[in-house]
Amino acid sequence: MTVLAVSKLSKRYRRGGKPLAAVDDVSFEIGPAETLALAGPSGSGKSTIARLVLRLLEPDAGRIEFEGADFLSLSGATLRARRARLQMVFQDPLAAFNPRATVARVLDDPLRIHGIASRAERPRRIAALLERVGLDAGLAARAIHEISGGQRQRVAIARAIATQPSLIVLDEAVSALDVSVRGQILELLLDLQRQERISYLFISHDLGVIRAVAHRVVILDAGRVAESGEARAVIDNPQSTIGKALVAATPKLNRNTPP
Amino acid sequence: MRRLRRFFRTPEAIAGALILGLLVAMALAAPLLFPGDPQAIAGPALLPPFQDWSLPLGTDRLGRDMLAELFHGARTSLAVGLAAAAAALLIGAVVGTLAGFAGGLIDEVLMRISDAFQTVPSFLLALAFVSIVGPSLGVVVAAITLGVWTGPARVARAEVLSIRERDYVAGARVIGMHPLEIAFREVLPNALPPVLALSSVIVAAAILTEAALSFLGLGDPNRVTWGGMIAEGRAVLRTAPYLSIVPGIALVLAVLGVYLAGEGVVESTAVRRSLP
Repeated sequence: MTVLAVSKLSKRYRRGGKPLAAVDDVSFEIGPAETLALAGPSGSGKSTIARLVLRLLEPDAGRIEFEGADFLSLSGATLRARRARLQMVFQDPLAAFNPRATVARVLDDPLRIHGIASRAERPRRIAALLERVGLDAGLAARAIHEISGGQRQRVAIARAIATQPSLIVLDEAVSALDVSVRGQILELLLDLQRQERISYLFISHDLGVIRAVAHRVVILDAGRVAESGEARAVIDNPQSTIGKALVAATPKLNRNTPP
Repeated sequence: MRRLRRFFRTPEAIAGALILGLLVAMALAAPLLFPGDPQAIAGPALLPPFQDWSLPLGTDRLGRDMLAELFHGARTSLAVGLAAAAAALLIGAVVGTLAGFAGGLIDEVLMRISDAFQTVPSFLLALAFVSIVGPSLGVVVAAITLGVWTGPARVARAEVLSIRERDYVAGARVIGMHPLEIAFREVLPNALPPVLALSSVIVAAAILTEAALSFLGLGDPNRVTWGGMIAEGRAVLRTAPYLSIVPGIALVLAVLGVYLAGEGVVESTAVRRSLP
């Protein structure tokens, strides 16, 4: 059984009249409680794939099956209802929230929109969500710009799990964070995966982080799959040229490699 | 509090606030100081100012109290200016948000409609509208609004075009928010500041347009307006120029006050890049 099956996905942009393949014939699958990482240099199509999977962009060709049903055929209210099961955490935790919002409003929205809790019940649910991601429930009244970057990313995760999704797309979700905070957030994500059996599509350019959290990895180059497989196996012994280049560019990994 | 202090730092803001404050005080005090009909005859006709202290600014051709008319005229000018600006900002913000956020055909249609309004001089539009529908305060406000809503609409659209690409709009879509809720709850409030910066210009333009309409006899006949007073005095301009000069000065001060106060607000909210 798979949670997400993407096959032969393609998306072209037009740059000055010339078509540019951002994503070209990409296929992959994610199972329950599995973490699949998308790695690759800038411009390799990682974020475009994330946006295609979330229907923030429409693909030119290909299929996306989510929880066994065609995800691309949905539209309007049925698509919006289905979005409860497929969430996203953005790279920049400040840009991901309305600058005028409070923590409570950010978490109230998904609960209200998907009818998960009544108006009277929501403050209690918001407090529970904040505690689930390791934050103090008293933070709810604060404005988004008043809390720290790490706290903001925890709020983003709380928003993502509010609707009990089966898959969360993490688009460079830890790249903008402080190294010390990054470890805690990754720990939280792994804990959520164990407890709620959430699958992750983990997009990152950091192979060290991928090796630590991902089960499998897909390495992209110029919109195409260069290589894929079990994360440790691929990163410890890359076969493709781009895979070798990425590993060589990661100083932390070189130390672990035996001479 | 800090914002208020910043506002009062510039001399133009202080002058603007004083004039506007005086205008608002006049408008509020009018029914208390001059109860009864300001258009009723109060004394001998064409009494010059500063002759009779019960009628300090004298009387017009029909013997109406000029000071009472001036105070009641402030009410009309302010009411029309604020109502027209509020309506123009509301319509402009909604149209601009819809056009910018929806894009495609809706954007094209709304912007071509706004083009059509912009190609007709706004005063002609107001003139035509009032002469067809008939002069009343509500119609005058609507007529002025017709000519000025396109400015806020264009500013709002430009702002929305940049905001709709931000991550938090994508985030709102991901949590399944309805597009109309995204447009009006997530995008519009963040697009407002530059739109609101237009408000002083619009209020000033609305006050002038209302005065011009009244001058041409197309104002609400049941209300005293400064434009109407100037028109009244025109017939006796050589013998009693004060009839036109007094409301003329009031008009100039009102528009100046609105402009200066608006400048002050923009100055106090602008981020200063150079060190003082």
